Amino acid sequence: MNPSEIAENASAPPILIRGVSEPRLEVHKFRTGAVVGASFLALVLQAFVPAHVWKGNIVGDLIELPLLVTLYFGLSRRNPSRGLLLGMVIGMAQDGLTGANLIGLFGIAKTIVGYLASTIGARLDVEHPVSRMVLAFAFFHLHNLVYVFTRRWLLAQAAPLMTVRILVASLVAALLAWPLFALLDKLRKDEN
Amino acid sequence: MFEIATRRRPYVLLAVTLVFQILLLAVQFKRPDGARLIRVWAVELLTPAERAGSWALDSVSGAWSGYIGLFRANRENQRLRAQLGELSLQNSGLESRAAEAQRLAALLDFRSAHPDAPLLAARVIGGDAGAGRAIYLDRGERDGVQQNMGVITPQGVVGKVLEVYSTTSQVLLLTDKNGGAGALLANSRTQGAAKGSGGPLLDLEYVSNDQDVAVGELVLTSGMDRIFPKDLPLGVVADARPGNTFKQIQLRPAARLDRLEEVLILLSRRQWEWEQPSAAAAEANPATHAPSRDAGAPSATRNEPATAHSAAPVVPVKKDKP
Repeated sequence: MNPSEIAENASAPPILIRGVSEPRLEVHKFRTGAVVGASFLALVLQAFVPAHVWKGNIVGDLIELPLLVTLYFGLSRRNPSRGLLLGMVIGMAQDGLTGANLIGLFGIAKTIVGYLASTIGARLDVEHPVSRMVLAFAFFHLHNLVYVFTRRWLLAQAAPLMTVRILVASLVAALLAWPLFALLDKLRKDEN
Repeated sequence: MFEIATRRRPYVLLAVTLVFQILLLAVQFKRPDGARLIRVWAVELLTPAERAGSWALDSVSGAWSGYIGLFRANRENQRLRAQLGELSLQNSGLESRAAEAQRLAALLDFRSAHPDAPLLAARVIGGDAGAGRAIYLDRGERDGVQQNMGVITPQGVVGKVLEVYSTTSQVLLLTDKNGGAGALLANSRTQGAAKGSGGPLLDLEYVSNDQDVAVGELVLTSGMDRIFPKDLPLGVVADARPGNTFKQIQLRPAARLDRLEEVLILLSRRQWEWEQPSAAAAEANPATHAPSRDAGAPSATRNEPATAHSAAPVVPVKKDKP
């Protein structure tokens, strides 16, 4: 039985003992409605704030709140199935709300992000702020890679793999991950 | 099984969700030509399958129809073979009947050409198992057949009646050693005696060495035997060479004695005039013909040419004893 399966099957106890020689990794639980609420809020902010508040402002294009929320819950809950499902729902909702994409473009990217984040979260300690920032930076580019690949391969559309804006957006995502993840940590259930 | 499914659940779920979203994209996305991507995919996906299915169906159908066709062809072949056998048999019968009809027609023509001649048609019903120089006819005493009556075919002389029974009769062929007939060389009108040799040929005797006899020359009946009327085809000269006193001449019988099936029996032994096809012309110019000067000769001499050979000594035909 691999670690991810252990983590998945042992969701009842808050602490998973993976083995004597392996480090202890916590499977965090969140308050009721925390996941749904945080996801919804991130989507709303992503969809409406850039359009109505930061009209024409480049700041709105650089922030990817749904991606960070997907990443955070994937890393924290460490359940691949739940992670990919959450990524799919958030991505498709983002596609629908922004109206810029066909439904499924962000969905596919965030499904993969949610799955991989959950898988990595079951293996690595992702509680440290630096590791969170690095992961946010890396997953941003992974997200972008999947997005671009999907558009190119599936839809035969031109999409840049790397631009300055993308690079800046990934740095913004990394910087934003630190306070956002800390904020979302507050939604965890008290494990004591 | 359940454990494997549980262990593989994330992968399966990931694959399902990705496929679902890809299909969703394909449903929404329209290509520049206006066709939805899902439709293009469906066509591209289904076309090979349809092609494969069609090919498989055609193959199975072709194989099945081929098998059925082969089976039917086999049955048809058997039926046709049976039919061919029947038709071959039928054809043989018809050919036989046609040949018989031709022979009978020839007999009828011959009979019609000689309305005054008392002729009786008879069918050959058997032959001698031994020498093969005698045949049996289906006509006998009840039909008026008597001993020593002549038997002929339209082609020529066959022989004479040897024995008479109530409904059948035995005929001695010309080629039998005891058979024979009065003969007459058609060209020179030289008379002789044709005798059977026991073989397929006849011997023509009593023709002097000084007579010119050519191979292929026609030999007719002379009528001197009082069995056959004069000028019936008897045979052709097959070989002629000088002898001590008389020529040694061999004749090939005019009638195909080995293929006799229907014959004509000369019912009357009286001397009746044998009408040749040229008889009408002879009658039209009687001056060209002279009456017979031989009292013993048959009376049918109207068409005998008036030549020196007509006065040649009559050679009596050997009378056969049954």
